[in-house]
Amino acid sequence: MSAIAAGSGGGEGINPVASVIGIVLILVTLAITYIAAPVAIAALVGVIVGGLLIGFGVHFVPVGGAPAAMGQSPGIATGVAMLAAGAGLAGLFGGAWAAANPAFDFAVVIAAGAVGGGLMMAITCLMVNVIYIFGMGIPAASGKVAKDPITGDTQEAYKSQGTEGHGLPFISYVGGVIGGLLGGAGGTLIYYELLQVYAAALPTVFSADAAEVLPIAVSLAGIFAIGMFLVNAVLAAYNITGTIEGPHDPKFKRFPRAIIGCATASAVCGLFAILIVVV
Amino acid sequence: MTVQVTASEGGIPHNTIMAVGLVGSLVCLYLTYINQFISAEYAAFFGGLAAVFALLWGTDTIKHLCSYGIGTGVPSAGMIAFGTGVIAMLLATKVETVMPYSAPIAAVVFGAIVGAVAGWIANSIMRMNIPVMVRSLTEMAIIGAIVLMGFTAVMAGGFSFDAIAAKEIAILGPLTATSYAGSLLGGCLLAVSFMLGSLALQHPFNACLGPGEQQDRTMMLAAECGFLSMIVVAAISFAFVAFGAAILSLIVALVGFYYTYVRFIELSKRDAFAWLDAKPILEPKGED
Repeated sequence: MSAIAAGSGGGEGINPVASVIGIVLILVTLAITYIAAPVAIAALVGVIVGGLLIGFGVHFVPVGGAPAAMGQSPGIATGVAMLAAGAGLAGLFGGAWAAANPAFDFAVVIAAGAVGGGLMMAITCLMVNVIYIFGMGIPAASGKVAKDPITGDTQEAYKSQGTEGHGLPFISYVGGVIGGLLGGAGGTLIYYELLQVYAAALPTVFSADAAEVLPIAVSLAGIFAIGMFLVNAVLAAYNITGTIEGPHDPKFKRFPRAIIGCATASAVCGLFAILIVVV
Repeated sequence: MTVQVTASEGGIPHNTIMAVGLVGSLVCLYLTYINQFISAEYAAFFGGLAAVFALLWGTDTIKHLCSYGIGTGVPSAGMIAFGTGVIAMLLATKVETVMPYSAPIAAVVFGAIVGAVAGWIANSIMRMNIPVMVRSLTEMAIIGAIVLMGFTAVMAGGFSFDAIAAKEIAILGPLTATSYAGSLLGGCLLAVSFMLGSLALQHPFNACLGPGEQQDRTMMLAAECGFLSMIVVAAISFAFVAFGAAILSLIVALVGFYYTYVRFIELSKRDAFAWLDAKPILEPKGED
């Protein structure tokens, strides 16, 4: 596909040259980390995996934007960045609570984060449908598929003329919950990995007890996790360019680009975050 | 169906605004170093002025970027600006502990690196193909870092990593203890300034865009949002800096907010009146 054919607002397909450069960038950040702070190499890999989980998860979330607020397209009536931030922060609360308890191991912490994000999206999707159906009096109908891929319900007959569909069909709801699970798990993974790095390194930086500087470690890891979450969510939103109905939307096929892009962004941001304890 | 983003053409060129914003905010950030040479942190309010300079520049950057119709709404740009900016800003505060007086410059350099990478990813890997994408995201990461640094200076009087991570608490008169949990970082007040800044960055253009958008009105709203956020961080600063310095920051923020708010209302009335002879809103050609 030539550059001329790819208009503004997300050309289709993968850009091979840029993707290779992105992967090289990831390897460069890993190499720098290996030289500067060899103990943090596993943490950086965790941050990269967390970032691409977020980028992948955003593609599942049904985002309707402004048209959805008027009932003219399916999805939740807000932008990708806001929805992803909500799901991510809800997941982070669950994950941070689990991480603060020494009795819970790595798997429980990540699961707690995933459940937090998934729960937030499930409640949001439910209330969105309640308001659409009982408040605006419109049934949920997809404009992208004739039949719901999960339930097999027909969509066309319920779609109002002049709209692209409205409300949240079952597949969009399921997609929202999956996106929340992935986003919450990814955000918590970033938080947990950075927390391990800071909790280990900060006592020597301040020459203080580990318990005394733990609030600093928690705060630093938390703010970095939020920052990286937003970077990855917005980059994934730029990949989607606007609205998406869920995993059945044709735009969903663009997710490989987001995975490469979010991994690159997370690698660079993660390197900066780890350099804090090296400088 | 996409929402058409329209904005005014002409006005002050973007490069001029960028130069004034960058130089003005850096000068204000360096003025906060006066705190190290006087008895109390009376220069803390310069951090708020640095944030206002940066927000004026950022509003114009967002206007340039979003005029291309990025399809995700204006707020996403403010979020990525601060997501990248907070990483650059924290690393710069850590560099400050090794090289004194380097933090503002370091924040600009680190912000430019992270922002350029994010912009390049969006443009090349995600195939956005927007001419100003790389430059805009680079600028916005720098702006995010400067605004956070400015707000930190207002709250704590400085932005060295050691200063914002530890707080001296007096126990029994002359004895002091170091508290990490009660510090600016330990209380995660950076998260507060993160949201205050990102909302102040994305709101002005988001509120003013449309066929009647005027540059001076949008910029006035940007300054107003900056001072409004500064009121909150000045209120927080009572916990960290001397009482007189916090009062000074609060007065500067209140006066700035009052003046810019009154001017913004005047300009809004002016533009509303100019619109009164009911010009038709031209429908954009070709829906995608």
